[in-house]
Amino acid sequence: MEKSDLVKIVGSNNVLDSPSILEEYACDMSFVPRVRPMCVVRPGNAEQVQSIVRWANETGTPLVPVSSGPPHFRGDTVPRMGGSVIVDLSHMKKIVRIDTRNRVAMVEPGVTFSELQPELEKVGLSAYMPLCPRGSKSVVGSMLEREPITMPAHHWDSTDPFLCAELIYGTGDAMRTGEAAGPETTEEQWKIGKSQMTPFGLSQMDENKIISGAQGTIGIITWATMKCRMASKFSRILMIPSENITPLFNLSYQVLRTRQCDHCFILNDLNLASLLARDPGEIKALRDVLPPWVLVVSFEGNGYLPEDKVAWQEADFRDIVAHTGDLSADDTIPGATAEDLSRMLSRPSDEPYWKLRYKGGCSDIFFLTTLRKTAEFVAAMAGMAQSRRFVPSDIGVYIQPVVQGTGCHCEFDLFYNPGNAAETERVKWLVTEGAASLANMGAFFSRPYGAWAKVAYGRAVETATMQRKLKKIFDPKDVLNPGQLCF
Amino acid sequence: MALKDFEHDMQRCSRCSYCKWIPFENQQNMDFIKGCPSAARYNFHAYAASGKWNMSYAFLNERIDHSDAFQDAVYRCMMDGCCDVSCKTVQDIEPLQLMYELRKKFVEDGQILPEHMLTIDGLKKEDNMMQGKKVDRGKWAKGIKVKDLTKEKAKVAFHAGCRYSYDEELWPIVRGALQILIDAGVDVGIWGKDEVCCGGRAESMGFAGELTKYADHTLEALKAAGVETLVNPCSDCYQCYKVEYDKIGKKPPVEVLHITEYLHRLIQDGTIKLTKQVPLTVTYHDPCHLGRLAEPWVHWEGKEVKVMGQMICHEPPKQFRRGARGVYDIPREVIKSIPGVRLVEMYRNRESAWCCGAGGGVKDAYPEFANWTAGERIREAKAVGAKALVSACGWCRRNFMDAMEDGAARIEVYDIIELVQKAM
Amino acid sequence: MALTDIEYQALEDIVGPENISREPAILDTYDQCWGHKAVFDQKFSTRPAAVLLPGSSEECQAIVKACNRYRILFKPFSSGFEIVAFALANERGILLDLKRMDRILEIDVENMHAVVEPYVNIYRLQREAMKHGLVMGSIGAGPSGGVIAGSCCHFGGGTTMVSTGGLGRSVLGVEWVLPTGDVLSMGTAESEMGWFTADGPGPSLRGVLRGRSGSNGGSGIITKASVKLYPWYGPPDIKFTAAPGVPPSGKRISEVPPNYKAMIIMFPSQSAMFEALINIGKAEIASALMGALVFPYGEGNDEQWAVIQQMAAAGISFTQVASQGVALILGSDTQRGLEYKEKCLMEIAGQMGGGPVPIPPSDQAGLFAAAMLHFGFVTAAFRRTGDFFVSPTSDGSPDFMLNLRKNAEQMLKPYMEKGLFQQLGIPEMFVMPGENNSIGFHEENVSFYDPWDPDSLDALRDMVHKSEDPNGQFRSYGVPHLGGGLQIEWVSHVHQNFGPIYDNYDKWMRSIKGMLDPNGVGDWSAYIPAIFP
Repeated sequence: MEKSDLVKIVGSNNVLDSPSILEEYACDMSFVPRVRPMCVVRPGNAEQVQSIVRWANETGTPLVPVSSGPPHFRGDTVPRMGGSVIVDLSHMKKIVRIDTRNRVAMVEPGVTFSELQPELEKVGLSAYMPLCPRGSKSVVGSMLEREPITMPAHHWDSTDPFLCAELIYGTGDAMRTGEAAGPETTEEQWKIGKSQMTPFGLSQMDENKIISGAQGTIGIITWATMKCRMASKFSRILMIPSENITPLFNLSYQVLRTRQCDHCFILNDLNLASLLARDPGEIKALRDVLPPWVLVVSFEGNGYLPEDKVAWQEADFRDIVAHTGDLSADDTIPGATAEDLSRMLSRPSDEPYWKLRYKGGCSDIFFLTTLRKTAEFVAAMAGMAQSRRFVPSDIGVYIQPVVQGTGCHCEFDLFYNPGNAAETERVKWLVTEGAASLANMGAFFSRPYGAWAKVAYGRAVETATMQRKLKKIFDPKDVLNPGQLCF
Repeated sequence: MALKDFEHDMQRCSRCSYCKWIPFENQQNMDFIKGCPSAARYNFHAYAASGKWNMSYAFLNERIDHSDAFQDAVYRCMMDGCCDVSCKTVQDIEPLQLMYELRKKFVEDGQILPEHMLTIDGLKKEDNMMQGKKVDRGKWAKGIKVKDLTKEKAKVAFHAGCRYSYDEELWPIVRGALQILIDAGVDVGIWGKDEVCCGGRAESMGFAGELTKYADHTLEALKAAGVETLVNPCSDCYQCYKVEYDKIGKKPPVEVLHITEYLHRLIQDGTIKLTKQVPLTVTYHDPCHLGRLAEPWVHWEGKEVKVMGQMICHEPPKQFRRGARGVYDIPREVIKSIPGVRLVEMYRNRESAWCCGAGGGVKDAYPEFANWTAGERIREAKAVGAKALVSACGWCRRNFMDAMEDGAARIEVYDIIELVQKAM
Repeated sequence: MALTDIEYQALEDIVGPENISREPAILDTYDQCWGHKAVFDQKFSTRPAAVLLPGSSEECQAIVKACNRYRILFKPFSSGFEIVAFALANERGILLDLKRMDRILEIDVENMHAVVEPYVNIYRLQREAMKHGLVMGSIGAGPSGGVIAGSCCHFGGGTTMVSTGGLGRSVLGVEWVLPTGDVLSMGTAESEMGWFTADGPGPSLRGVLRGRSGSNGGSGIITKASVKLYPWYGPPDIKFTAAPGVPPSGKRISEVPPNYKAMIIMFPSQSAMFEALINIGKAEIASALMGALVFPYGEGNDEQWAVIQQMAAAGISFTQVASQGVALILGSDTQRGLEYKEKCLMEIAGQMGGGPVPIPPSDQAGLFAAAMLHFGFVTAAFRRTGDFFVSPTSDGSPDFMLNLRKNAEQMLKPYMEKGLFQQLGIPEMFVMPGENNSIGFHEENVSFYDPWDPDSLDALRDMVHKSEDPNGQFRSYGVPHLGGGLQIEWVSHVHQNFGPIYDNYDKWMRSIKGMLDPNGVGDWSAYIPAIFP
């Protein structure tokens, strides 16, 4: 049986097939169908990953790469067919190198934000993080899936902060991307001053882009480098409350254009409450006090002359706010302080994961649009929820400008009680059928998890055609996470 | 010179395509940034100056021979020199002089457009470019009491030019100009029916021999009449006498002026008083031959040398004519001195002026192209809010009128002389 | 082998007789470009069988389908201002001049992107975007270069990379006529949701479009592209002026716009200068920046030489500025921001032993136009000696790029000392931190040679052989930048040579090419073939 082949590659301790363990990987908090894997294999290095992939090619075994720890939410780590092997990379936890001079960290796929951030802080750096990621979230996984960071001014490209990687394609071929490629080993490269920080595809293709957003269907990353920022000596966080979301747009667009804020995003009351409070009671109470919408901006005191930097950025920002006539920017608003936010933004989520605090379960709908259009989607989402008898006020909203404000990640977090079957069904409808309605309005599911794949690719036929052809190149035997995306 | 003498320049063309646009430094409104009418109207690269470099080089290397396509690209060009100005913002090469040489070669090789043949036949027989009769040349001045330079001497010679001499519709302008000088007490004379072409337009079509011929004649005539100053209401003639004759070593030993330059003097010294209001918003069209092409010729004899290893310089240093030293301000000052006139500038002006379309033999051979080019200029004039388009050349004036006849947008068209008359 | 009459007619039926030609005189205006003498040993590359001017994406599609039917090579270009723009693998190839496709389709001011057709040049988009307080990240090709060509199709960096990124990272969408004749619109463009992202759903196909270099016309036709725009702190309109009699190249913006500052900072050594570039990047203060030769240009070469001699007589060495100076532009929406950035800069400079060089206001304005809008680059590249070549060039971590610079200087100096390249005292270098130095430096080592001087040309070839030798001292610095362009000239076979030492990237590229272009009609001579011949 194939298990013995895998044992030869990774050792018996790292091939798991007990029913309880297999059950953990058979489903997640999404609504993708449950499919139990055949076993779970835990490689410890790139050579083992490569051997596993080669083996999969020989035996025709589907592999499902997983780098984050549970709970999983998106469905991309759940097999789509029987007989799959989970390649659990979450134990590859080396922080291989932190280059303070170039603000680059090199990490293995199992490294989480919880593990990385303290190490970066020790040397005066900080990770670019998505909004309060769960503690078990893989840094590499987050980057490769193009999860947005909270600092749009630093988000030059949709793949940021991802720089270079070592990866194994579905063929079993290894490659290093961007500046990481070349005649030297990675260690030899460091000696000649290479920090694997330049992400441009090394000739006339860009391998980094091809593996981004791929949900593990093109290749398996064995390490990646990422941009880091200089840690802040202090942070000046301001909140701009508003009864409605629309008044926050003009202000946001202005500061996005000049890139003078660091953190910059919008939350509704429920999401902000969930981030700051610990339990359902606290969340409800806090939500009742918080303004319906809050634009959160920060000016990070880092780099040269940090006090001067923050002073001019804040002063400029306040001038812009003053011009709006009807908005104000404060470090304290009813229910929240800058200190609360600073704590929240500087590290991954405490346990329990913030999205699970309110009702124990959460399912997201997120997509890309442009900032001003998010108002339409907010209204539509509320209307849809109402029509399905899902309480609109149980939907958290997170609006995150991306790629220096040229686009916007629009996220609806549907909090529900997984023990309530009716509520669960409503949520399921909303995140599947509801997503389709949003797509009809122009929501772009650039990260098409689960049921969104059909919605997204239904409108992207030529893209799907080309991606299938690429798949044939990089994974001709279709061993990497088959059934995901359009494959 | 021969085509081979331009080989170095041909090799140097980098295909930057600057020749298609007015200089980037001069670009204002992005709807009006094209500089070369040929490249704007006709799509192939052959119609840009760079294309001519390319074709010449291919011809020199015997990769191509004469052909309709080659001829079409070479002759659908107004010889306006906008490409030359633009190219020279980034290079030390001579696109316009190549064009002169190329056309000369075409004529030598018998590759002449039938329409040009007709015009040149007329020139050879009747000494004018209008296919008019020599005997009729002086009729424009009928009734004006003025010295006859074939019989008398005068300090100032007024050379009407072929266009003004034979285009009856424009006679009021040329008559008006002469009359202003006479009334100002200028010692002026004309050659009347014995006036001959300057040879400039013929040269631009490739007939270099005609230039030489008329240069010799003109120098004689000037000497015989004791002329000290040669005044031209037509920019073509002005440029020819001032620059083209100098180029071939036959610089007239007299002061060569455009009528606007002479009028400017008379206005400045108070001889002419402009007192009547002319309430009009106008824009001034810089004629190619008064503007960029009228930059004085620079004689240079020397050699290329390399400095700093490979940097190409000249010994002695060579001053390239880059178009900025033409006559731009004087016509504007004349216009501005007219009471009531408001002058607005077009986006493409001075050394970047868009050609009126009449030059280089295009009006003779490709009237539709000439009209289209003028139509584009009228569009620009209207875009800047002008009620009237003012120029300083009979060919420009005529071409704008023809374009409107042909369907271009309508605008009032004047020569500066007419505005001055209105104000007197 | 030229086209048959039937094939020609089929193409003419698509674009109309006025938009196609196979006249030799016309064709030879499409096979001459800078760099050709070095690459082809003559100014002429392969003469195309025909040249066409399509007017729409639909016409492009129809042409490409015809090429597939008849197995005709095709290659598109816009301005055609790139060394490999016209290179065709054989004479049975057609060139597509995209001159008729010249619309700016949209400038989305709020969401900061512009959608353009291929013939829109950089300066035109800059000026239109400026009206709205925006500019694009441009490249050294200068104002006449194509927006799409620079962003999607070719190699090239620019002085604004510190604040605008580069090498394809500003592309937010394309409409792409593939070599099969199918049309792919990426991202939101395909889903008809706007033009604000090219990525997804799922994997980003920007990875197929280009890498550090583009495919140089070898992977189809980009008929529309959306490019990211960046803040412009200057006035909505700019005007260049000069005293009467000064030609256009001598014109200057009357002053540096009030919300900008242009300056040159000198450092005591090149290492100090590199260090300062790292820190300036980290400080996030620069709008444009280059460690570069700042060369007095003058109206013409003779004037330029005169100024250089005057400088020498006055004891001023521009070569010192070249190797140890940083030219940069600071900009901000407010004076407060500008003051901070200048204060920050002076602190960084001081730490590295550097300080500002006094520059007269008119020179500051010239520096501003050069650094923000790439005025002067074409002059620099071509007027001086006739041609230029960039090698070695790389993108990488700063210390790695400093190593490259040191090695490049050593390698290039003997050629200069012998007068085979322009003697600048030091090889010319452009080095720009990208994205506030979060992605390393872009470095180009530039040589100015005369392709019509046999010794200079031989030296250039000799130098490129050295710098692009897969077994030579520069092998670690990346795959040579012209991509497959070097398939067809004197240096043999970049991809075959560098693939095995760069993680076999060529294998994937060949597969991609085969996937995109099963009939092999997209000219590969500056890209890669599916199978090496």
